[in-house]
Amino acid sequence: MDSSVKRTILFLIFCVIGAVFIVRLVFLQLLDDSYLRSAQNNVLQEQTIYPARGLIYDRKGELLVYNDAIYDLTVIPEQVKNLDTTVFCKVLGITKNDFIAKFEKLKRGKGYAPYRPSLFEKQLTIPMYAAFQEKLFDFPGFFVEVRTDRKYKHSNAAHIMGYIGEVTDRDIEQSDGYYRMGDYMGISGIEKTYEKDLRGVNGVRYILVDSKNRTQGRYKEGTFDTAAIAGKNIALSIDQVLQDLGEQLMRNKTGSIVAIEPSTGELLALVSSPTYDPNLFIGRDRGNHYMELLRDPTKPLFNRPLAAPYPPGSIFKVLESLVGQQEKVLTPATSYACHHGYLFVGCHAHSSPNQLRGAIAISCNGYFCQVYRSIVNNPRYHRVEEAYNSFHDHVASFGLGKRLGVDLFGEGAGFLPPATYYDKVYGRYRWQALTTLSLGIGQGELGITPLQMANATSSVANRGYYITPHIVKAIAGKPNPNPEYNVKHWCTVDTSYFPIVIEGMQDVVERGTAYIARIPGIEICGKTGTAQNPHGKDHSVFFAFAPKDHPKIAIAVVVENAGFGATWAAPIASILLEQYLTGKHDTRPALVERMLNGNLTHRDDSIPATKSETF
Amino acid sequence: MNTWEKLKPKGDQYMWAIIFALSIWGLLAIYSSTGALAYKKNGGNVEIYLFQQAGLLLMGFMIMLSVHTIHYKYFIGVSKILIWLTYPLLIYTLIWGIEINGAKRWVSLLGITFQASDVAKLAIIMFVTRELARKQDTIDDFKKTFLPILAHITAICVLIAPENLSTALVLFATCFLILFIGRVKIRHLAIITGSVVIVGVILFLFLFLVPEKAIRGMGRMETWKHRMESFGKHENNPDKSYQNDHAKIAIATGGVFGKFPGNSTERNFLPEAYSDFIYAIIAEEYGFTGALIMLMLYMFFLYRAIRIVLKSPKAFGALIAVGLSFSLTLQALINMAVAVNLFPVTGLTLPLVSKGGTSILLTSVAFGVIMSVSRYIEQDEPESETEKLDENSVNEKEIVAT
Ligand SMILES: [Zn+2]
Repeated sequence: MDSSVKRTILFLIFCVIGAVFIVRLVFLQLLDDSYLRSAQNNVLQEQTIYPARGLIYDRKGELLVYNDAIYDLTVIPEQVKNLDTTVFCKVLGITKNDFIAKFEKLKRGKGYAPYRPSLFEKQLTIPMYAAFQEKLFDFPGFFVEVRTDRKYKHSNAAHIMGYIGEVTDRDIEQSDGYYRMGDYMGISGIEKTYEKDLRGVNGVRYILVDSKNRTQGRYKEGTFDTAAIAGKNIALSIDQVLQDLGEQLMRNKTGSIVAIEPSTGELLALVSSPTYDPNLFIGRDRGNHYMELLRDPTKPLFNRPLAAPYPPGSIFKVLESLVGQQEKVLTPATSYACHHGYLFVGCHAHSSPNQLRGAIAISCNGYFCQVYRSIVNNPRYHRVEEAYNSFHDHVASFGLGKRLGVDLFGEGAGFLPPATYYDKVYGRYRWQALTTLSLGIGQGELGITPLQMANATSSVANRGYYITPHIVKAIAGKPNPNPEYNVKHWCTVDTSYFPIVIEGMQDVVERGTAYIARIPGIEICGKTGTAQNPHGKDHSVFFAFAPKDHPKIAIAVVVENAGFGATWAAPIASILLEQYLTGKHDTRPALVERMLNGNLTHRDDSIPATKSETF
Repeated sequence: MNTWEKLKPKGDQYMWAIIFALSIWGLLAIYSSTGALAYKKNGGNVEIYLFQQAGLLLMGFMIMLSVHTIHYKYFIGVSKILIWLTYPLLIYTLIWGIEINGAKRWVSLLGITFQASDVAKLAIIMFVTRELARKQDTIDDFKKTFLPILAHITAICVLIAPENLSTALVLFATCFLILFIGRVKIRHLAIITGSVVIVGVILFLFLFLVPEKAIRGMGRMETWKHRMESFGKHENNPDKSYQNDHAKIAIATGGVFGKFPGNSTERNFLPEAYSDFIYAIIAEEYGFTGALIMLMLYMFFLYRAIRIVLKSPKAFGALIAVGLSFSLTLQALINMAVAVNLFPVTGLTLPLVSKGGTSILLTSVAFGVIMSVSRYIEQDEPESETEKLDENSVNEKEIVAT
């Protein structure tokens, strides 16, 4: 056989093979559409199964937050057939025009497709849902989807709880593919801090869907499906009764209450007034309510106990007493005379001279100006700023001037001026004790948040250490979930310097400025304060701990524009101490009545209609 | 000349381009098909398949480049040793081979696991071409030349067949073509064709007429019977044609331009879509256009190899190049034919494209040998080449005319 014939044969073979393939491909891909419509031509669809969000309890096991079913009405437009619009509209309580408008709006929505479920009506009311369940059969193409939303049983502690809301595009991006459009997540408060514990883990179900989007069954009998894992329940350290009483006492007043258990750092109450009902942030009108609160001039959304800085007033005198002893410029026997103050700082009328304990009891401005001066002019140091920095560091060791690291968002650092701050204001080497004398009585540039105030009180109660305040007591039954909150932060003042100061603080309540806070049978150590306020009437401040030995509670109360500490802050704190330590607050009904009804604002924080809901 | 200079890909640049294009395309298709749920779930990290394949391809390229720097004349000597090593290897595999998916095809030697048939393929093709080149003067002698060659081919194929019938058949067809090009008498080839037809008919009848009970336990025979049956009448037996149906759905839903890379939906339904049915995934994602281009790439590669043999028909090099190219292309065509349901399921992979292990490396050796021929044939006979080139170009025109 000739070689050219061979070549021809080869060439023909390849032509035939190529042609067969092309014909086959043309037939399969371009002409025959039976496989396009094949029963097996399924597409995988991923369905998310949402777990129940973790419940939230208080320290005694009282339920605070639970989940409530919400019913959304969805529609697959393609499947809507022979709809009796009149009946449908009647059930939904809308007009025919509304119906048409809704459908038009739906079609303009992002990602709309006639074969895909779209949200038709958000959050049906229970009667609507019941009516729909009954008649769903008459409305092909419409489905009721069940979702859960939060419900706040006691309608209080809004600033602690925070709220959940729809995720933003940014949240989705940052979540590594966990969140999807329309998911909910914690936006603030506990819901945000402990989002990962509370939310649980989404499950996935793989469904086979045919070319017409009809469900065909599960993919490989659900081999690849994962079950949703329910969110973990959280026990807060909050005492619901104390919290609620605190909120009631602060009604029609502006300010904060922070109560801490000194031995553990657990927050017992965290009141921010004015407040709002956390149930406003659920349901159909969530967005409107949020905008209303945002525009409210009294700033109910502002988390005062964590973020509002106040000049601390007299708490500073307590810290000075401790630092002065530590720096060896002050002893319990140190005595200073006071005649209506010291230099330009005034003082009220009282007997003179006084030793340390007495000076604390009567809160003598003159005495503490001299103490401050002796600390800053301490001859042990070469320069004023060295002495001042030492003072600054001692004070800072009580948790002032920095974020403590509470497990809630929105904590402020307050302000404790470092030496460099005064260098900037006055110039280097051009300031000394007298220049900054107002610091001696806790005024001036200082800013301390109520949380820091309570934490410093807690440090005194512990005789020299604090545990970072926190609000979660247990997650899923496991106590102290965060090891960070087991660490004792030791202050730089020796334990031996505390007793005399604590004696002074007890005198304050027993026979001093806060006599009104006295409760027979309970040894309360406290200190009133009056924080100067350049914008109006002074703030009424009181902080205390009790009992004196083995303290169970440390508390700080700030009532804005309420004048002396003894007038409002001390009685409020006293009522709360009594409630927490004895379980009731009925020994002084007149005082309680006066505090509850006192209105220091032009507001009317009426009592919510449903104080605690039954469910 | 330094080493790197030497390793630069030389020879037919079209062939190099095709090798490169197929490898990259394969990588993309493998990455896409391992995106199926089953692989995401098991281990989660699907990139590992991609890196594995990329690593093997990289090693393969190094092998190709290294082999192609060796003058093909050295393979003449190698082929004789190789064929005698192949027999014990095949027998060893039949007895002590590693069984995977019910077939004893794999063997583990010196810590490397590979298919003995991959080695045998190389060995027999090289051996046959060597013999043909050596005995061109006595090519018509049936006893002295033809019979010994045929004996080797048959022996090797018979040893491969029990565990890997499709490979044996491809190999036999390849050798037949080499004999055809290598100027063996047509009468002799007719004898082979006749015998093959007879053996084939007997085997076919045996499989269909003998009741299932009789061949149960006879290993692969059962599988062959089932495969052929499921190919013949798949509509009555939906379970067994599951793969074929989903391959067809994949191809059908691809349309003209496909669903675009990474959007395959059938990868979730085709088991091990990255090997046997990767062509279906390519047809789904790249459409009719992509499927056609891939087919053309293989055909064009073979065409370029045949050009070599047209230039120097008697040379050992030319024969070995076309032999290996034909073997690879035929394998590719059969794999694609399976995917479009023109052929029963065989287990043959798509060279360079399918995910593979050591077979990629042995395939790379084959490509290296082909490219060595392409490289040195042009270098060695530049003068005679130009002479023949004129003659050939005339011939090519004739071919086109027919
Ligand atoms: Zn005084």
